[in-house]
Amino acid sequence: MKVLYSEIKELVPELKASPKEIGEVLTLTGFMMDSLEEVLYKGKKDFLIGLEIRQNRADCLSVMGIAREVAAYYNLKVKVDLPKSIKEEGKKLNIKIEAKDYVKRVLAISLDEVKNEESPDWLREYMHFYGLSSAGILVDLSNYVMIMTGYPSHLIDLNKIEGTVSWDINNQDKEIETISGSLVKLNKDEIVIKDEKGILALAGIIGGKKAIIDKNTKSLIVEFAVYDRSIIRKNSRSLSVATEASKRLEKDLDPNGIDYAMSLLVSLILKYAKGKVISSLFSYYPKKYISPKIKFNEKLSSDLSGIEINHKETLRILKGLNFSVSSQGKDLLVIPPTYRMDVSLPADIAEEVIRIHGYDKIPTNEIPKLEVVKNITPPNIILSDKIRDILSATGFDETLSWPLTQKGVNEEINYFESSEIFTQNSVNDLYPNLRQSIASGLLNQMNEYFKKGVEYIDIFEIGKIFGEIDKKYVEHESLGILSASKENNLPQFKNKIDSLLRMLGFKNINYFDAEIKPRISNPKSCWDIYIKDQQIGIIYKLIPSETKLNTYFAEIDIQKITEMLLIIKNNPVVEITKKLTFLDVNVEIENNNSIYKLINLLQKNISSRYLWSINVIDVYKNKYTLRINYKELSDEESKKEQSKVLEIINSFKKNEK
Amino acid sequence: MKKETERLIDDLKKDLEEADSSTVITKIWHKYFSDNGYFKLLIKKIKDLPLEEKKTTALVIQQSYKDAQELFNKKEEEIKNKELLGDIDSQSETFSPSLVKIGHLHPISKTIREMNELFIGMGFSIMDGPEIERDEFCFQRLNVPIDHPARDMQDTLYIKEPEFLLRTQASSIEARTLDKYKPPFKMVSPGRVYRNESVNKSNHFVFHHYQGVVVVEKTSLKDLFGTFNVLFKKMYGEDVVTRYRNKYYPEVEPGVGPDMQCFNCHGKGCPLCKNVGWIEMGGAGIIHPKVMEMAGIDNKKWTGFAFGLGLDRWVMAKYKITDIRTLLGGNLGYKYYENESII
Repeated sequence: MKVLYSEIKELVPELKASPKEIGEVLTLTGFMMDSLEEVLYKGKKDFLIGLEIRQNRADCLSVMGIAREVAAYYNLKVKVDLPKSIKEEGKKLNIKIEAKDYVKRVLAISLDEVKNEESPDWLREYMHFYGLSSAGILVDLSNYVMIMTGYPSHLIDLNKIEGTVSWDINNQDKEIETISGSLVKLNKDEIVIKDEKGILALAGIIGGKKAIIDKNTKSLIVEFAVYDRSIIRKNSRSLSVATEASKRLEKDLDPNGIDYAMSLLVSLILKYAKGKVISSLFSYYPKKYISPKIKFNEKLSSDLSGIEINHKETLRILKGLNFSVSSQGKDLLVIPPTYRMDVSLPADIAEEVIRIHGYDKIPTNEIPKLEVVKNITPPNIILSDKIRDILSATGFDETLSWPLTQKGVNEEINYFESSEIFTQNSVNDLYPNLRQSIASGLLNQMNEYFKKGVEYIDIFEIGKIFGEIDKKYVEHESLGILSASKENNLPQFKNKIDSLLRMLGFKNINYFDAEIKPRISNPKSCWDIYIKDQQIGIIYKLIPSETKLNTYFAEIDIQKITEMLLIIKNNPVVEITKKLTFLDVNVEIENNNSIYKLINLLQKNISSRYLWSINVIDVYKNKYTLRINYKELSDEESKKEQSKVLEIINSFKKNEK
Repeated sequence: MKKETERLIDDLKKDLEEADSSTVITKIWHKYFSDNGYFKLLIKKIKDLPLEEKKTTALVIQQSYKDAQELFNKKEEEIKNKELLGDIDSQSETFSPSLVKIGHLHPISKTIREMNELFIGMGFSIMDGPEIERDEFCFQRLNVPIDHPARDMQDTLYIKEPEFLLRTQASSIEARTLDKYKPPFKMVSPGRVYRNESVNKSNHFVFHHYQGVVVVEKTSLKDLFGTFNVLFKKMYGEDVVTRYRNKYYPEVEPGVGPDMQCFNCHGKGCPLCKNVGWIEMGGAGIIHPKVMEMAGIDNKKWTGFAFGLGLDRWVMAKYKITDIRTLLGGNLGYKYYENESII
């Protein structure tokens, strides 16, 4: 919203503050100044102040609203010249309100013998400041009144309509040509103004071509209306038509204010376009809006601001804002003016008092004394942060990527039994789907790095992955790790994943041939990662791409491992008093994958009092040499223990067969 | 015998000179100093000498034996030392000329961590919530009913209109926390948010918010400003200039717009701050009574404040990133060998 400095001065004659000061005051009290421009208006130097208007202050989408704010801050009065009351002459207008649920108020009147000539220079200049092109005196005056008062009006050429004019829900017309010449397709559920032949306007949004005001217009209907704001917003959005009128009428506007707006517009038309009133004033106002009476404990302003705001100041501010204030026991009974439809609760009144008193009076340098409360941080957040530390300490860089992917990407990377989730209305229609694996982002990053000649790529990302399971949207935090280079190999990568999991507190980590293998994986090098009997992720080698790098990817379900870690109680500390002993054993197994099972079995069955480590020290095809280190055992004792190991291995092999 | 003794010393010297290991030294000891060694044999010969020669010869041999032992001991120690320390030249190593690549945290994570550390120190918890959110928690519970004009402040990306969407603000985590936990609590929630906007150098459809919520028995705007002050000073240094202005957000009443004086032009106005001299840092305020009510929190007993900050611009300024797409795109790189100071 832009306001001319001279207009504020005209409404608040005693105002001394400069345009810049006014802008700063408005900024602090809720209407941020976003521009200040020196302009020439009516041949004099003037200033155009650009302001951001709060979404709940439709009353301030007007020069008068802004002037009231300025006056309240400086403790001054707003001076409004009341236009002459309208002399109603002639017959009743033939108007019907059918859409009673949506129309709060309508005022309409008819004029004749008007001359729709070019606007005077000042009005054309004025239209220019607001980015509106001059369209003849009638339309320009209608716009001028909207800017001054905040109420849009609609002008209908009386000679272009037939029969009764009604406010109704459209249920037959498929489209409308608007005054701007564009065709708007209709959904047949919008509120419209129509005559007996068709639609005259999209109510509260834009007029139609049918009854457009042009230079030949001699007689017209002037109407002001206020609607249930949500229908205007709904229509404006579904038809993709937003206008200065819809911007105002989709907010809470005081229906009482249109009396003044109507008087002003009619008096201006009579002054500049001549003519005469030829009807009585049509008024539809079934439920008059009355301001709420709010019981207000003035201590609330001090409590919420943290500083003392006394009774005298409270009264000064509220009266300056035209609120009616009286005592009611210990409290105040406050009635806001009807145009302040945003004020209905004690907290709203407290905000008024605090903002006009000044946010700049609240100290900013006091360290808050907030009470001590319990920590409710969920453990997955702590875990994710630990993972970041461990991975970055082992040389991995963290990346973040788009959770939305291109079509077809999920089909390549998914390894869950879930369906894809996609967005309905993205303007970035090339990226409609939510990722089902972190691999999407890491692969993009790898390709980007590769294009740029980066040779060693060790990256990870922690983020959400998504899928639809049993008609429910499911998401969980996931860790993706990718390593790509020419020298890379799988054992190295697997060891890093293994170390990460063990550093987090896990043991019994197993790798089994993956049940669902992503298309980008080498099917012979793709394993599900298990801890005990739960799958917690996947690890695979990627099928070679244009990068020709050895590329490995692993993904771990952070949510799942968080739950598992919460029940683990490990004690990794031991006392060693004797020299370690070791014994080697050769094993030949059927299936290479079962070596992990065997090692796990041995770990479980050798007493943790004696077991120090189990290492594979040699592999030839399916023949493995395992070295078992014992602690706190003599050579003789460890040989006894080793005989148990041989028994375990033998029975394992039998079972394997 | 005197000549014999001299010859013996010469032989010993020659042997010792050639000795290069403790095995050889042991052999030399046996050759010269054992019971059957040359010196013992020589000493045994004294008793066969005439009486007048016995005394002088004994003295000469005694002295030579002492000298021989000294020579031997010196060499033995030399060899032992050598064997213990090894051959310094052949065992020496030097540094590899290439450095090992180090890992890095993403600047967004780093900034979140810095902010989290500050708030953890002030007794806050860290929270998260779903990114696919219901309209109820993203809007309605925050006092933004369906078809409320405040919805225009954010373009929503829908999964299934009107109910399921991608959260447009981390305030949805506030709504969920208020719903789930009983006060008092203090929490911050860094989170990824989505808007239906086209992607260019300065706008993205995925970015990051940092939300904070406090619900305690007594708090005020003064506490909120104080909290911001601590945060801004930590992130931007002691000299940071801030201002707090009244601003409308449906979920708060009174509402606050915290601004920081433009660090580029120091308030004079430049393209970075769109010539206003200030940079908007986010939104805040006292939690709206209706929001508390919808969460079943008695607003006569409890008061709360909430704030939300955009992280991306903050991070871009700090790390001198000029294109917002770099943060989530492929252009972000890390120097192999360099990290920020961790304190």
